[in-house]
Amino acid sequence: MATQDKVLSPQPRSVGKSLLLTLPIAFWSLLMFAHSWRIQRSAQIASVTTAVFMIALFFMMMRTSSTYRWRRWFFVALGLLFPVGFIHQVIAMRGTMGIPIEEMIAGRTPFCYIPIPMLILPAALMKTVVFPGSIRPHGGMSGGGMAAMAGIWLAITIVIGKGWCSYACFFGGIEEGMASVPPKPKVRKIDPRWRYGPWAVLLVMVLMSLALFEPAYCMWLCPFKAVSEYVAARNTVGTVQNGIFVLLFATLVIALPLLTKKRTQCAFFCPFGAFQSIFNKTSIFDVKIDRSRCTPCVLCQKSCPTLSLTDESIEKGETLMSCMKCGACVDACPKDAAVWHIKGTEVALKPERARLMFLYAAWAMAIMFGGSIIAEGLQTIVHVFI
Amino acid sequence: MTTRAKLGYSAAGLTVFATLLVPFVFYGLFTKGFASLGLHVDEMYSGGPKVRTIQVSGYSIDIHRPVSPHLLQREKPFVQLDWRPVSALPPHVSDLVDVDGDGQPDLRVSFDVPKDPKAPLRVLVEPLNPRYQAMRNVGKPQFSELIVRVDDAILVRVPLAYR
Repeated sequence: MATQDKVLSPQPRSVGKSLLLTLPIAFWSLLMFAHSWRIQRSAQIASVTTAVFMIALFFMMMRTSSTYRWRRWFFVALGLLFPVGFIHQVIAMRGTMGIPIEEMIAGRTPFCYIPIPMLILPAALMKTVVFPGSIRPHGGMSGGGMAAMAGIWLAITIVIGKGWCSYACFFGGIEEGMASVPPKPKVRKIDPRWRYGPWAVLLVMVLMSLALFEPAYCMWLCPFKAVSEYVAARNTVGTVQNGIFVLLFATLVIALPLLTKKRTQCAFFCPFGAFQSIFNKTSIFDVKIDRSRCTPCVLCQKSCPTLSLTDESIEKGETLMSCMKCGACVDACPKDAAVWHIKGTEVALKPERARLMFLYAAWAMAIMFGGSIIAEGLQTIVHVFI
Repeated sequence: MTTRAKLGYSAAGLTVFATLLVPFVFYGLFTKGFASLGLHVDEMYSGGPKVRTIQVSGYSIDIHRPVSPHLLQREKPFVQLDWRPVSALPPHVSDLVDVDGDGQPDLRVSFDVPKDPKAPLRVLVEPLNPRYQAMRNVGKPQFSELIVRVDDAILVRVPLAYR
């Protein structure tokens, strides 16, 4: 029986073995943060702190065999520190969080990954990018133009697929932090049809972007404009747009996660998350339910922050394609039935090997991308306040 | 171990190896790849390609190709004119501009050049050719009708009279 060969770690790993497993990540962190030694002291402090933080979290993942619990610290730190570093940067460069029309014309509008799916059709049909940014490799604000973001998105997506939403997204941490505040959810019953929300938003935004030739999601619906940069309110339309951003942020990122203990913006609204779900099909790593061990107690279903487990999917031993590999269900399962898995291999045969391989890839990307953002946020705090 | 499992583990191993290459190979490769796709930023933002330059005493006026809105885009067609460098501009600019290059002036464009680069700009455009629309004391209400300072240039976008 496959399950008899299962090599999980019910007991904590020894400190020595955990350290040994953490060693490659420690080397990787040194490699990723080594460049900060040539710049100012605040950057050095921020980089060392971030490196130690990331290494310590990975060590705890190795020691306890728990993933979600430790990953969450990184993810919340990323979600909270991204606005700190970003807002400081835009205010230092242009004196306001509002994007002036001059910066749009100059192609210096910072570009995040969320509009990527909305830009594909106009780019494919008209060779036109409907975003006021820069296409040059080092263009845009501080070299963070569209080419750089597209490059990093594609590279990380090839490695971890939809895992982007748990290890690279610099917005999701805010709602994950909010969702972790209450001990129990106040709203338990959620209509499963809300799961189609991100696909509906994606479809509407793709069509709107093509018809209006503008990044429609960025212009009208992005909740995270409230904590990054907004449309400069030059007229009534701009004021209405900013009102929508704040309202969506307050509802989807603050209030609903507090009430439901779910990542409601990701689960019910984010068009990029829906688009990224497609790459769950191409990723070699996934999460499975070992039916021979499953009771089923549905604790995995309750713990899933994006409603990616249903009675039917558990019955099939699978997660839905919206699974972002956060590990919440694996941590929650008392029978070790929810397991990390490598496609093509037998379910629950050496799941710890699958977990380790996934985590090395995902955590390396988390350090490279998210770690640099955390370090920038910390550097801002060190620089401004200390 | 089955062949499928062997393939699975091999792919997972390759994925972990690919991870190591992301910052050193793939990131740069994909970034340059994206940049070389031949895409261009929508001209409603970029103002369209420059087609001609008129030399005026000490400064120049770049004339861009007229830009037309796409499908349901909520803007007017316009032509962009750039005055540069700002440091060489007089405190008050009032130029007759031959936009279409037929030897006849099409517009008179007048604006003040404040010393403070952040000071708001206002422009007066008097059309001498019915193809162009007048602008009176206009700031930057929309992409197709504005005056803004971008780096070392003052950009004026004059809406065209027809769609």
